[in-house]
Amino acid sequence: MVQVNGVSKVFGDVVAVSDVTFSVRAGVTALLGPNGAGKSTLFRVMCGLTPPTQGTVRVLGVDARRDRTVRGRIGLVPQQDGLFDRLSALQFVSFAAATEAVAGPEPAARRALEIVDLDADDSRPVSGFSKGMRQRVKLAAALVHDPEVLILDEPLTGLDPVQRRRMIELFHGLGDEGRCVLVSSHVLEEVARLGSRILLIAQGRLAATGDYRELRELMDDRPHRIRIAVDRPRQFAAALVESGTAVGVSVGRDSLVVDTRDVDRLGREVAPLAQRLDTRLSRVAPLDEDLESVFRYLVEKR
Amino acid sequence: MTAPTASPARRHVPRLRAATLTYRVLVRQVITPGRLAALGALGALMILVGWLVGITAEDGGRSAAGLLRDGAGYADGFGLIIIVPIVALVFGSSVLGETREDGTLVYLWLRPMDRGPVVVGAAAAAATAALPLTVVPTALGGWLAADRVAGSADLLWGAVAAAALGTAAYSSLFVLVGLLLKKPIMWGLGYVLLWEGLAVGLGDFAARLSLRGYTRSVLSHLGGIDYGFDPYTTTTALVVLAAVSVAGLILAAIRLNRLDVA
Repeated sequence: MVQVNGVSKVFGDVVAVSDVTFSVRAGVTALLGPNGAGKSTLFRVMCGLTPPTQGTVRVLGVDARRDRTVRGRIGLVPQQDGLFDRLSALQFVSFAAATEAVAGPEPAARRALEIVDLDADDSRPVSGFSKGMRQRVKLAAALVHDPEVLILDEPLTGLDPVQRRRMIELFHGLGDEGRCVLVSSHVLEEVARLGSRILLIAQGRLAATGDYRELRELMDDRPHRIRIAVDRPRQFAAALVESGTAVGVSVGRDSLVVDTRDVDRLGREVAPLAQRLDTRLSRVAPLDEDLESVFRYLVEKR
Repeated sequence: MTAPTASPARRHVPRLRAATLTYRVLVRQVITPGRLAALGALGALMILVGWLVGITAEDGGRSAAGLLRDGAGYADGFGLIIIVPIVALVFGSSVLGETREDGTLVYLWLRPMDRGPVVVGAAAAAATAALPLTVVPTALGGWLAADRVAGSADLLWGAVAAAALGTAAYSSLFVLVGLLLKKPIMWGLGYVLLWEGLAVGLGDFAARLSLRGYTRSVLSHLGGIDYGFDPYTTTTALVVLAAVSVAGLILAAIRLNRLDVA
């Protein structure tokens, strides 16, 4: 339903997206990547909001930049928080429905607001809404015309856990109906719950694609870097290397940094080893658990 | 939780409907209390000063023809040169320019709507906001400055027409500027003050490229009095102002179509 072929997007000296190729079918697909990875730019290119510097994008078989009619078949939740702030939620979503040529905009808007758990009779302007409520207004506006392709840029931002769960259920329901639902996120746990096909993007490049479990295993295989604070770091480092748990060690004055491929084994061995060496163990902390380092590893590995 | 019911795959919003929808949403966005207060104060100042000019002229024993000329000069110098372009600049440049800045343009752009009607709706919203703030002070200020002498009713209607046509032309022009440039107010002010304010004095060719001479001619001819500053015929002035309005809209529609939308 969506085909991206060799797409690059350059802004001045900045390469936002570099030679990305993939295709997306019906169902839920997650676009995972850290902030600044190029997810929003890729979505903008797919919707035709900005032309690619190189490559082609086809949504439902056509280029959304050139073919205006396909735009009525795409639902977009943009990353920007901006809404027409003087309108109520019902007015805003009714406006979205009317500009999508939906017959009976207000009833359609009421249905869409109900789907995202917002009160259609709340007459407050959306400027007074919380971040989570504004996010749901955007989602209702993207759903109101019953699009075949949904492009949702960080749609779960600002939602509480219950709302997140309900929205993820909704995305799966829409995917099961045969729609193409593309959801971006920079939160690994969020994508785990989306639990479907994943496109992993980092530094503008497609780092990996596949099922979430495969990707998770790939991530778990990477070397982990752990700082261990002990009072005799040199002896501790020697013991870890000897046991084969550490693949690399750097020793400081009162701590050591260990590279290991088996973080679970290291976790099991650290406390008994400290006891055996009669050293005082004061702290064990991972140095590279943030998502960016995971992405960096995957990109470098490729 | 269920998805919305199925609907036709291909849709298109009719042009008139697209223009009306755009107009309705943008007219509410563009009129803010701050803008109304600031630009309303400018208009109130023009009316107040016009009234004071009229009173002073009455005491000075000026002739009726002289008073009419004073009133027309005041409507031109304060209304058509300052108020009309500045008010049109504020509303015209922000009506689509702000949507581009705050990200709401996507809700107009990513829709099965032609660009022309979107631009027409936006320009109409800007003109709706601007017209009362330009026409009322220009006409009323000029009329009061002429001390309401015989013939000042014609001046009043001439000022109404000149301010309205000028507002339409400037609004259209500044809608385009709002889509072309960042910080459009700054660029627009530069244009209004330097080009429109000074170009007229640089020679005949430069004057033809500024809108001021055309609005001034409308004021003079439709006012029905020889004010002594009417370089163009009524037809020429009306055609040029209409042409600028239409050209601004066409270029804005082309620009909107090619825009990188955030």
